[in-house]
Amino acid sequence: MPIIEVNHLTKEYQLGHITSLKETALNAMRRLTFRPVHKRERFKALDDVSFTVEEGEVLGIIGHNGAGKSTLLKHLANISKPTKGKVIVRGTVAPLIEVGAGINPELTGRENIFLNGAILGMPKKIIKQKLDEIIDFSELEQFIDTPMKRYSSGMKIKLAFSIATSIDADVLIVDEVLAVGDLAFQRKCFDRMENLIKRQGRTVLLVSHNIRQVARMCSRVCLIDHGKIIADGLPSDVCEAFYEQSNQKIVTQATQGHNTKHNIRMSGEVDLEKIELLDENGNETQELVTGRPATIRCHFNANDNIENVEIIYGFHTTDFIYIASMGTAHLKHASNLFQGKNIIDCNIERVPLTPGVFAVRIGVFDQFRRPIFYGETLKVFPVRSENIPVTQMATLGVVDIPADWKFNTSTPRHENYNNSHASVNL
Amino acid sequence: MKASTNNLFHYRELITALAWKNIVIRYKQAYLGILWAVLKPLLMMLIFTLVRSFVGIETGDIPYPVLTFAALLPWIFFQESAAEGINSVTSNSALIKKIYFPREVFPLTAMFTKLVELMISFVILAGLMFYYKMTPTIYVLWVPAIVFYTMIVGLTISFFGAALNVYYRDVAQALPVALSLLMYCSPVIYPLSLVHKKLIVEQAAGQWSENLYTLYTLNPLAGIIDSFQRVMLKGLPPDFEPLLPGIILTFTLLPFSYLYFKRAENWFADVI
Repeated sequence: MPIIEVNHLTKEYQLGHITSLKETALNAMRRLTFRPVHKRERFKALDDVSFTVEEGEVLGIIGHNGAGKSTLLKHLANISKPTKGKVIVRGTVAPLIEVGAGINPELTGRENIFLNGAILGMPKKIIKQKLDEIIDFSELEQFIDTPMKRYSSGMKIKLAFSIATSIDADVLIVDEVLAVGDLAFQRKCFDRMENLIKRQGRTVLLVSHNIRQVARMCSRVCLIDHGKIIADGLPSDVCEAFYEQSNQKIVTQATQGHNTKHNIRMSGEVDLEKIELLDENGNETQELVTGRPATIRCHFNANDNIENVEIIYGFHTTDFIYIASMGTAHLKHASNLFQGKNIIDCNIERVPLTPGVFAVRIGVFDQFRRPIFYGETLKVFPVRSENIPVTQMATLGVVDIPADWKFNTSTPRHENYNNSHASVNL
Repeated sequence: MKASTNNLFHYRELITALAWKNIVIRYKQAYLGILWAVLKPLLMMLIFTLVRSFVGIETGDIPYPVLTFAALLPWIFFQESAAEGINSVTSNSALIKKIYFPREVFPLTAMFTKLVELMISFVILAGLMFYYKMTPTIYVLWVPAIVFYTMIVGLTISFFGAALNVYYRDVAQALPVALSLLMYCSPVIYPLSLVHKKLIVEQAAGQWSENLYTLYTLNPLAGIIDSFQRVMLKGLPPDFEPLLPGIILTFTLLPFSYLYFKRAENWFADVI
């Protein structure tokens, strides 16, 4: 029997304010006089959602902001009630929705452990048993008897996370809580979550915008869009569908609004007029092809002659992972900018990017390495491939490295082969 | 109702923890600490005593300060637990949006928080009785029952009010006004015996007197305060005549109030 069953779950919210007394009275009047009643507009946050979760499954839920992820979790945690449909959860639920809901700033860390534990439904005996472990994990031994209002925000989150992850429940609901604390603590949280999920065999529902994390931790992923489940299946497939959806959104946003000026820093000596991407025939293009030649062409406007500049063109992902940069530092010939227009081409023999969405960043430095122009996400472009199937996108990584393969296998010796099999007694 | 009592047992640790938190945070940075809980009835007693010295209220052979203090004890407990109970759901919106447990935990917690403060006031009452050389009798054993009944009255108001307050915050605004009016309709400043004398003995309102008296005792606090004074100070058993109308009213309303709360509870997280 599945541990969670969701049948045709629909949730509607009314838009706008609660009806005022006046409006209620007016509506009553209208009803009495058989005139149409003013009703507030309704919004479907969840629209006929059905799925089941088996025990021990780790289900990731992804989707854009406002897609209905948190609403869904609220129904599973019994916080909201459905407008239509049914939610059945066979077991106890521990919500980890936004760590720290039950934290009180006036109480000390230790007092908060007991309070928060009680709120999360842990019996006092169990909390006492786990007290040391919780304090230990939070790395706050020294401050545990200080009121939490004197804690830094990172410390608060650390403690809250430590408490929340020590509950025993059949179903664990996690909503965007893994991105807490500094890098070292994040690593620790991640390990602890993985330990909870993988080794203890708990049923977990995980909502996150960190798709890489979801793909790694979950055994199954649902993609929600506008209150509907539009994909449900293996993490790699669903995440890829989501990436594709996001990429389209990013490209349309980037091409529609040219308000990318805000991430440009410049001294005023040089201005970037235009960036073009050229394909192998020298024609302007909006997308690049993996493994094919391409050219990045920039039109600079210089106020003066600038000698010995260093120019860098680079690629980064839309979430700002810098992939590569091509610089002019090693050039034998002089690299000068002249007053007026300068067109500078960077020819790439083969585009080393896997299919996805990428962006261009550009930097110009003078001879003393002083930045005179720098900008990121100056041009956003999709990369497509002629021979990599789109379905592998999420697992491929971002860089395409041309490689040669050679299989130097010696012929297996037959006696050994037979022996090894004989020993397991075929 | 039965489910509620079960919940009460099941969630006793949560209620204890939340009530303890309420008390700790309220008095943690206050120099006088929990003394504030008893300062209110004490100051009101002093003012009433002062007023009485030039108004003149018959109180029989019980010294007025201790009589009025014994009236203020259940009154303030009721008033504050009702006020706190009505605000208990809206003031815990962060929890309501994040975690599920039966929502009656909040009004109940408010009640238990005030119960602790009531205990402290009892110490003061004992001190006053000692000062006036009054010895408690066996009838003091009625006190838990009276306090329990007061809690039921408070809960009847809290359940309904707290649920309604989620939708209309007017409730929390209106309640203090209503309660301070109710205080004058309860035998806090004056004893019930005075009302009884005016209406029943002297028939001050003519043929309406009996009905008026029943109406007066429909207020559960009339019976509660009178019984409390009787068992604590006078060494008498509670008088059920003024208690009865209030009891009937309370136990008729309680199921409705609770059911309303339970039905409204489903939408707390969406509306709050």
